Amino acid sequence: MKRTEAFDFYQPATLQEASQLLKDNGPGGRFLAGGTDLVIAMKEKGLLPKYIVDLKRVPGLSGIRENSDGSIAIGALTTLYTIETSALIKKKYPFLAQSAAEVGSIQIRNRATIGGNISNASPSADTSPALVALGVTATIASASGERKIPVEEFFKGPGQSVMNADEILTEITIPKTAANLVGEYIKFSPREMMDLAYVGVAAVYNLAADKKCTGVRIVLGAVAPTPIRAKRAEAVLEGQILSEALAEKAGQTAAEEAKPISDVRSSADYRRAMVGTMTKRALLNAATGPAKSWYDRRDRRY
Amino acid sequence: MSEELTVIGKPVTRVDAYEKVTGQIVYGYDLTLPNMLYGKALFSPKAHAKIKKIDISKAKALPGVVAVVTGADAPWTHGEAVKDKPFLAHGKVRYIGEPVAAVAAEDEDTAQAAVKLIEVEYEDLPVYIDPEEACKPGCVEIHEDYDGYRKAPFMVRGAAPNINEHFKLRTGDVAKGFAESDLILDEKYYVPIIQHAAMEPHSAHAQWDKESGRLTIWVANDAPFRALHEISEALAMDKEKIRFINPAQGGGFGSKGGLKCEPIAVALAFQTGGRPVRVKFNREETFISTLTRHAATVYCKSGVKKDGTLVAREMTIYWDAGAYAEKSPTVCIRGSLPAPGPYRIPHVKVDGYAVYTNKPVAGSYRGYGIPQGAWAGEQQMDELAIKLGMDPIDIRMKNIFVEGDMSYWGEQLHAVGLKETLIKATEAIEYGKKSPINKPGLKIGKGFACIQKPTRSPTTSNAGVTVNAQGEVTVFAGTVEIGQGCNTILSQVAAEELKVPMDKVIMHQLDTDVIPYDASTTSSRSTYHMGNAVRSASIHAREQIMEAAAPMLEVGVQELALGDGKVFAKDQPQQSLPIGEVVKRKLGINGVVRGEASYTYEIGKDLDLETGHSDHASAFYMYATQAAEVSVDEESGRVRVLRMSAAHDVGKAINPLNCEAQIEGGVVMGIGSAIHEELIIDATGKVRNPSFLDYHLVTSLDCPQLIPIIVECHEPEGPYGAKGLGEPGLAPTPAAIGNAVADAIGIRIYDLPLKPENVFWALQKNKKSAA
Repeated sequence: MKRTEAFDFYQPATLQEASQLLKDNGPGGRFLAGGTDLVIAMKEKGLLPKYIVDLKRVPGLSGIRENSDGSIAIGALTTLYTIETSALIKKKYPFLAQSAAEVGSIQIRNRATIGGNISNASPSADTSPALVALGVTATIASASGERKIPVEEFFKGPGQSVMNADEILTEITIPKTAANLVGEYIKFSPREMMDLAYVGVAAVYNLAADKKCTGVRIVLGAVAPTPIRAKRAEAVLEGQILSEALAEKAGQTAAEEAKPISDVRSSADYRRAMVGTMTKRALLNAATGPAKSWYDRRDRRY
Repeated sequence: MSEELTVIGKPVTRVDAYEKVTGQIVYGYDLTLPNMLYGKALFSPKAHAKIKKIDISKAKALPGVVAVVTGADAPWTHGEAVKDKPFLAHGKVRYIGEPVAAVAAEDEDTAQAAVKLIEVEYEDLPVYIDPEEACKPGCVEIHEDYDGYRKAPFMVRGAAPNINEHFKLRTGDVAKGFAESDLILDEKYYVPIIQHAAMEPHSAHAQWDKESGRLTIWVANDAPFRALHEISEALAMDKEKIRFINPAQGGGFGSKGGLKCEPIAVALAFQTGGRPVRVKFNREETFISTLTRHAATVYCKSGVKKDGTLVAREMTIYWDAGAYAEKSPTVCIRGSLPAPGPYRIPHVKVDGYAVYTNKPVAGSYRGYGIPQGAWAGEQQMDELAIKLGMDPIDIRMKNIFVEGDMSYWGEQLHAVGLKETLIKATEAIEYGKKSPINKPGLKIGKGFACIQKPTRSPTTSNAGVTVNAQGEVTVFAGTVEIGQGCNTILSQVAAEELKVPMDKVIMHQLDTDVIPYDASTTSSRSTYHMGNAVRSASIHAREQIMEAAAPMLEVGVQELALGDGKVFAKDQPQQSLPIGEVVKRKLGINGVVRGEASYTYEIGKDLDLETGHSDHASAFYMYATQAAEVSVDEESGRVRVLRMSAAHDVGKAINPLNCEAQIEGGVVMGIGSAIHEELIIDATGKVRNPSFLDYHLVTSLDCPQLIPIIVECHEPEGPYGAKGLGEPGLAPTPAAIGNAVADAIGIRIYDLPLKPENVFWALQKNKKSAA
């Protein structure tokens, strides 16, 4: 592993200061959160930032908070391990906690942040499909103010987002959801853990007592330049009574909507087929309640 | 002298456990030397090309650079079976990852920056990726000077281009055998390239002292005496001038024999004015530039009678050697010889070809050619059984080697514990009993495989054992602690024979200046060969102590016994002396009694080059059966190993705890090779997944319930009846899993690995052809 080239390192105390540093110093700067993507890019992939702005001294950027309107705010610097183990998240959105638990190893999840996982804009990021499926809003701040955009519109391509260089993702907000909302995230990769998603599927819907599904959201990871919603597949199930046949059909439709590539990990055709299988399973699993353990989670994705 | 064993056969805790677990131990990769320079290599980006020009001027001019070397500065070649490998490329490169030039600098980053300043001009040559293509008539020789190389006498040059070894086994008449058969199966099997992925990557330190003319090399090499010989032969330097010191080794699995970083470090060390140089490979460099396991294409044809009796077996195996011979010739010989399996077969024909290709170098890997043959042969045994309507256990029981059988290479076999391993391994997973798991689309299956593995023979181990006036015992043994537990086993042997507590025994660090010669720490040979040597050396020391003690205790030597660190009179145990006291009275406070011994297993007639026959091809044979229960997800192709038993005939378990750990470690490695691992190399010869991100080793979460089973079929020549164990741990694993997968889904898959995508397409293809 290479020693990094010399660079300037800033530890601002406020967001305004942090954003201003980017404005003043110009291109070539990077924000640092957990560092699990940035440091590896610098030490092993030849990334040479001119300067780094560490956000960890800015107060108030981490933590999970339930708002009075029923929404939940998660600070950008909240670690994936905190999300994975949060009693609130586990109770209300177990599939989101699971998506965080799918990332790397426990050591990585202790460092990696939700804001970093989103901002890095990797097509295979594990938390992104669940966040898009939940209709999460991202709060983006800079020296000149703040704006909010849906996470669904956040990603522009591999490593690319709508954020300008001086903007900082500060918080995400999960809107209040119906009491009967259910969901599932399935990460499919050859190895049981410590792997990248070959296909990621988040499925979320409101499940009525008669098994009627509404507000269906199906989001695919690792099979397009960004996480994508499989809207036609959602339509297959919307307003319908959940059944294995319908889940199968939704899966096939999602497979058609995916735009996977072939690479050293997998062929595009295989990824597409797995979108079908895993979408079907995610839809069916969501209705059976959350997985009780890691083994349960493993067994229900097969 | 009590006949009862005190520490042999006991689950003694590893002697190196504490320093390893606490991180205190210094591995080769950790080692720093005073005034050390940092070496870095430039690796070839071309799989096969002439070097037109190398310009090192810019690299030399970089501040902090002390030396830059190319093949012109290191005009030496080395190699165990074939002396074909240059220290640094000579005039051409033969694989992507071949060291072309190297830099020594004051720090690693400067060395790396300098390497990037070296300019090389190449002229492309045809690239051969597939061994079967590379040996077609008309192909360019990857080694145009092959005939001029120094080669081992047992080698047979193939008739076609690029073949560095052609092994032949001829028994009976296969044409006649097939004519007499009721059922014949003929299939092609494939095993991809994989890598050892030892936790510690490769490194070497070298220092050349001009005044004394001595070359010192610090390296975690699994065969320092063989490496010393190879360096000595390459440089035409006296062996006395060369010294190897072995720091602790963080795993090897076969990858740390031969010379890897050593030649680069040595080439640099001659140019640094006496300063030591370290060459350390990172993970990517370890993947592309050290060693891999042979890919193998195995054609396997079997003829069998209706009742399951094997009549004939014909196998043709192409071993993908990569760019240099390394251990390919011996992998080809020792992997091809028993490839037809541990069965009585009257008509056998095997042709093994080790073929040069423009890929990273293949060589020894735990199992030494057995997994490739077993992947084909053991799956075909199941297919034969299924086609005959027989139970796979029954067809094997009908043909399996038992005590006294004549093998198809003409050797009568003894101490054959195979049947017991088969029975115990299959029972442990309730083979034949239906699984209670019932989930739509999830298929459950069970399978097993049997293997027999020879050890490298003949070989020699020497040992010294000293006892000082404090009663402390030091063992001088050239066996390398590569993680397998030899320091514990050999300490147990010395403690047993000298009847001292384990904590009184220490293993001397491996240094070729003071440790007597040992052939290598390979081939599961150490417990047997070095175990015998340490045992005899301990007895030799013991005899000297008894001799000295007799007059002190005023009894005859015959009347003396040893126990609990003391010499005592048999009929009057209270009349005793601690062994250290005996040494002190005889030789003074700094006196040392030294026992010496040498053990060589002499084989009979060497392998006949035309027939492959030998009346004694191996000092002993290891036998094992492993059995797997798997689930296969029909909709994703994922194979999950649910439980796995592994019954190994170890002769005698000197340390059952260590034996079980060895078995478990082997099985885990075997599961990786069965369902995940594959070094992906594209048509240009480039490794596409040289990292742990995309080269998938198993993690603990991929491991099933493991059931290690020790079978003890006493080996009369072995110490306390012991054989070896290290290598076979993963040899039957992929075949057992392959048989379980076929049992689950009813489809035979002929190519490894059984990764989800491969299994999925096999299922889809079957679905289509059924429709």
